Parts: sequence; structure tokens; C-alpha cells
Amino acid sequence: MSTPPTDPTDLYNQRPEHFGDRVTTEMDCLESYQGSHQSENTSVFDQAKTARFTSTTHAFWSGVRDGRGAPAMVLFAGMVGFGAMGRTNGFDVWFTTATSFLMFALPGQIVMLEMILLGASSLTIALATSLTATRFVTMTATLFPMLHARDRNKALYAKVHLLAMTAWAVSLKEFATMEPKYRLSYFCGLGLLCWLISIPGTVVGFLIAGSVPMPITLGLIFINPLFFLLTFTEIKVSGYRLAILLGSIAGPICYLFDRDTSLLTAGFIGGTLAYWIDRKWIRRYDHVKRGGV
Amino acid sequence: MEAITANLTSAFATQQGMWEWLALIAASIGTYVCRAVGVMLSGRVSQESEFFRWLSAVTYAMVAALTIRLIFLPVGMLSTVPLYLRLVICAIALGVMLINPSRRLVPALLIGTLLMVAIGIVQAL
Repeated sequence: MSTPPTDPTDLYNQRPEHFGDRVTTEMDCLESYQGSHQSENTSVFDQAKTARFTSTTHAFWSGVRDGRGAPAMVLFAGMVGFGAMGRTNGFDVWFTTATSFLMFALPGQIVMLEMILLGASSLTIALATSLTATRFVTMTATLFPMLHARDRNKALYAKVHLLAMTAWAVSLKEFATMEPKYRLSYFCGLGLLCWLISIPGTVVGFLIAGSVPMPITLGLIFINPLFFLLTFTEIKVSGYRLAILLGSIAGPICYLFDRDTSLLTAGFIGGTLAYWIDRKWIRRYDHVKRGGV
Repeated sequence: MEAITANLTSAFATQQGMWEWLALIAASIGTYVCRAVGVMLSGRVSQESEFFRWLSAVTYAMVAALTIRLIFLPVGMLSTVPLYLRLVICAIALGVMLINPSRRLVPALLIGTLLMVAIGIVQAL
């Protein structure tokens, strides 16, 4: 991303054909702003005028096509797991599906289910789920400056709901290879597909959880915990690795003191401590190592 | 067949009351506000600011606490699987993932899920 080629045909040729090579995860976005400065590069990308699309409809359907593949399959599996989780924990299909439809953010959805089961108050639930959703702030703030000026209007406040990990990562990669005026249509096609498959995913997970033999249900409800655990290995920033470690330790301790708010307090204590240690020692050490003052 | 019919009937029966729906609406608004704030800030605020770093650290810590709880202190069906078996599956899946972190997410997830299914089958015997 740091040295975008100036020849538009180069950009087009570099376009990856298979997104499945590296499945992007919920965790990628938080890290992204450490390495890439999308907004600064926007002007360079804007000059890359390639005739990839002939119309906005074409761009939209191209987005839909690009949405199929490994990233969308992982999203679908996560939603199936969420549906199964809702079923085995005594939620009804309306509530479970409405959660995927309205929130469309897996970590937040599971936080909410867990907290409802523990009997937390609506306010605590809203606070905790909003905190897990803060990644969307950084994701949107890096992606939307790349859109055409004409498209950056009030309607974006509706379209932003389609933004989730999958659509964000693929769009960021693909936007560079298309004219700015087609980017929004492409994003809408891609995001709409991801949002719409999350609904059948949840319903399928919910319905099969009660119909298939117990071992399969067991496997389904294990998908999301395992998925989160696996994505932690992809985090490279030492400060965030420390946050994960301290959060893991703070979690069970806070759980012993107060179950209802334990996720919130564990996040605050573990995260703030990790941030502080990172700022005080790790970053300074890295700076010295690199030959700074 | 009867079991499936019974499952369908119970699936569509409402279980949640006003309180749970209120929590869902509050959570949905909270999630949407984060997206909207992103639109508002797009291109205006530095992504490298200390506040964003702190927010990210808190989010990571919270998702980590959630993951640890789901694995160590699960509610419902997962709690019927002994803790050491849950940990062994996690270790195997992590091992598969770490061979090549950039390409192994799907196989690691699949192996972990299938192992859990296998444990369920053994337990049911």
C-alpha cells in the first residue's frame, strides 16, 4: 500500500483474484490503522482511472460477485454458530435473527446473548456492545474518504450499516483499482450480500441446532469461541497482544466479583493497563531499539 | 420426523419478553452509533491518536475476556464437555493455525469444529 504503482494498468494487474488466500477477520481492522494511511493515499488512488466498470449497476454486481468466497463463508459459519448458540440458550428464532439483522456484528451479538443470560441491565449491555463496535469507527474512517465526493452525503449514514469486517477488507483492497465514482456501488453490492447472508445463516444455525444429533450442535456452538481465539494469533502489535493477555487474566477475576458487568470491567482494566504499559515501556523500548533518542 | 416438527414448533414460539427486546434495541443503537461516528469522522481525525489506541486496547481485552469465558466457563451445552478436552481442541486448532497464520484460518476452524463433533459422538456412546 505504501508505494502504489502510477500506471493504472499495473494496478489492475495487481488485483488479487482470490480473496480466499487470506481470510480477513474481525480483528484485522483495529490493527490496520497502525500500518496503512488510507486517507493520505486517496489522492494517488483517485488518479488510477481504470475502465473496470461501465456503469454503477455493473460495479454493484461486481461487488456481489466478489462477496462470494472464503471470507463470506467464514462469516456465514459464524452466523450459523450464532444461531445454534441462540437455540441452545433458550432464545427464540425471532430474537436471534433480529440480532443478526439489526446489529450485524458477531462479537457484539455474542456479548449481548451472554449478558442477557447473566441478567445484566440494558444500559450495561448497550455500553459493552458499543465498546465491541468501536472498531467500526476506525474502519469507516479509513474507508469512506476513498469514495467520490458526490457520494459522500447523508445517504452514507444508511449505507454504513452494511459495513462489517468482510466488506471493509475487500473494499479497501479493491477500491484502488476502480474509478472513485463506482466505489460506492461496488461497496453496496458487496456489503448487501454479506448482510443478507447473515440472516439465512442465523436461521439455518438455529433450526438445525435442535434437529440434528447433539454432537453436531456441539460443534456449531464451538465455532465462534474458536474463531475469536484463532484470530488473536493474527495480531502483530505488541501493545494489543498484551491487551489480549491482560483481558484473559482480568476476565475470570472480574467474573468472580460481579458477573453482570464482568466483561465491561475486564475490558476496561485489562485494556487500560495494557495501553499504559505499552505507552510507558514498550513503545519507548521499540523507539530506542530503532536508534531513536 | 416428529422431533423435527416439534423443534420447528418450539423454534417459532416466542421466548423473549419486552426486557430482552429492549436490550437488543439498546445494543443495536449503540452498534449503529459507532458506525455513524465513523462516517462523521471519516477523513477528519487521525487514526494514530492515543485515544484510538486506548479504545482498541480496551476492545481487544474485552473480546479476550469473552473468549476465555466462552471456553473456560461456558453456559449450556458446552459445559458438558470436560474442560481439558475443550483446551486440547483449542491447542490443536491453534497449532494448525500457527503453521501458517495467513492461510490456515479455515482449516484450523474446521478441524476444531470437527474434533468437537467427534467428542460429542464419543460422549453420546
